[in-house]
Amino acid sequence: MAWAEDAVDAQLREELDRARTRVASQVQLTAYDLIDELVYGLTQDPIFGRPTPVVLAGVSVPVGLGTGMQALLENHLSDALVRNPDTHLQLVHCPACTAVVVHSGPEGTVLTRGIDDPELLDRLGDSTGQHALFIDVEAEGAWLVLRARLTRLTPDLPIVWSHTLAASASTPALLRDSAELKSAEDARNEYLDMLHDRGHVAIPLRFSVRNYAGVDTFGGVGGIGAPPFLFIQSGAEITPDPRQAWLSSFILGYAVVPQAYQGLMGQARFSRLLTGKQRSLIHPDLYGFVGGAVMTVWGPSAASFRERTLTADEIVADAAGDDPRATFSTIQFGLDLRLGYRVGLSSFLETIPSLRDSENIGNYMWLFGLEWQTFGTEVTFWF
Amino acid sequence: MGAAATILLPWLWPVYPAPGVFRSKDKARAYHCERAQHEAPSHRTTARVEPPPARGEFRKADLIVCTQPVLPERLRAPEDEVLLRTLDDRTRQIAAAAHALRPELQARTWLVEAHDGSTAVSAKLRFATQNALMEHGLAVSDRTPVLGYGDMQVVTRMGPAAAHPAACSRYSDNGSLLENDVLLVILRPDARATTLAAGVCEQGRWTWL
Repeated sequence: MAWAEDAVDAQLREELDRARTRVASQVQLTAYDLIDELVYGLTQDPIFGRPTPVVLAGVSVPVGLGTGMQALLENHLSDALVRNPDTHLQLVHCPACTAVVVHSGPEGTVLTRGIDDPELLDRLGDSTGQHALFIDVEAEGAWLVLRARLTRLTPDLPIVWSHTLAASASTPALLRDSAELKSAEDARNEYLDMLHDRGHVAIPLRFSVRNYAGVDTFGGVGGIGAPPFLFIQSGAEITPDPRQAWLSSFILGYAVVPQAYQGLMGQARFSRLLTGKQRSLIHPDLYGFVGGAVMTVWGPSAASFRERTLTADEIVADAAGDDPRATFSTIQFGLDLRLGYRVGLSSFLETIPSLRDSENIGNYMWLFGLEWQTFGTEVTFWF
Repeated sequence: MGAAATILLPWLWPVYPAPGVFRSKDKARAYHCERAQHEAPSHRTTARVEPPPARGEFRKADLIVCTQPVLPERLRAPEDEVLLRTLDDRTRQIAAAAHALRPELQARTWLVEAHDGSTAVSAKLRFATQNALMEHGLAVSDRTPVLGYGDMQVVTRMGPAAAHPAACSRYSDNGSLLENDVLLVILRPDARATTLAAGVCEQGRWTWL
């Protein structure tokens, strides 16, 4: 980067470093993908019929990026070749091959690398490597291009094999496992199989908290208000579509806080994927949902679900006799963020039509001509 | 009102990715756009392009393919960037021209040299050209012909037009370029140039491609 050092000031150099850092990770993933594709190709169509010693003679990275990336690519290539003996390329250590050597003879004094002068390698007594593998990665417009060549280390230095691969920078990396390389087509099929293999029924375990608006939420007065209700829920989540764009769930729940309340509930929901046409294995997915629930709660706190403000007499009577009980239905809508088929975080608003005139429970907002009295949050796990 | 909208709308929302009110010139310059054909967009166009209807279209539609480069602008010298952006195409063209030069050369062993102000770019040019020659089925060697110190003293004082024929002759005389060898040399004639020149040296004879 002598050009940059000469022509730009420190501020621009800093800007270039930031830009370099930003693109390096993307370039690195795409370059890894190209290396995986190269090694996979070699496992399918090996150059040699039997294991052959090969020196990794050089890995060069796009002009403008640093030597750190060169080391990363070199390690990844070595790792992929070692884990895939079917390539029949056996990496060997040959210090004299890549070292710069000075030697004098009748033809003059020559400065050369060992791999450029196989006769010199012979004289140095290092004949461990029979072939030299060269890898070059270059950014060409919107493409990252990988070139490879294999040179036989004989005096003629013939190139016995070469290959060029290109990947668009906008193509997401396949992130294949080096020990189990597969073609891009197989990797995509495996991805789709994983989506299909999720099955049509899943069993979630959900913890939810329902917060009921107080009547004084927006400046009103009166009422005793309901405490937050904590439910543990489980049931079945059903999808007719392997892409899981549509989901329906049927859940039963139980709530208990000793001396305060107990409750049972049944809930049905329909969810629609909002981010894309199918569930992603690697990105979070956001669903929107609507549903309904039927709940029955009993215990001292259930008194809040009466329509009228509690009187002192009612409170005393409740304490002396049976606990108050309330049964009601709800309508809800909300958003559900799911991470990797394992964890979901959701929030929702719920309306209780039978309690719209309640003097004990207020509302968070008016929407679609309804009072939304409940704000709920949930954490869901799938096993 | 309608007339004002007709005038203002293309200015406010110009055709992507042209610069406008909501897209700066810097951002627009980050894209490389090329006009393509509906029938055969390009071997490098990954987007699926719908073919035109069999009975033709009511209005003429242009197909412009815009791509965002892997590396942002200014990360490397402009003269290097312009060369590397089309490295594959350029080296393939050179290899095709060399391959088509004379039929008898196709049986020879090809050596490649590249000369550019930047050592890294030279290495890239050489690598890409070697692979392009291999794709033509030619025998390619990684050898590099060498000149003695005295030859270097003379050749480096010459201009490119005279230096390469002279070097070619010396390669043949000093035995570093064998009778069966063909040397393909790629060079940038001027440090500011964005074009490449190439020549072939065989049996002491130099030919510009």
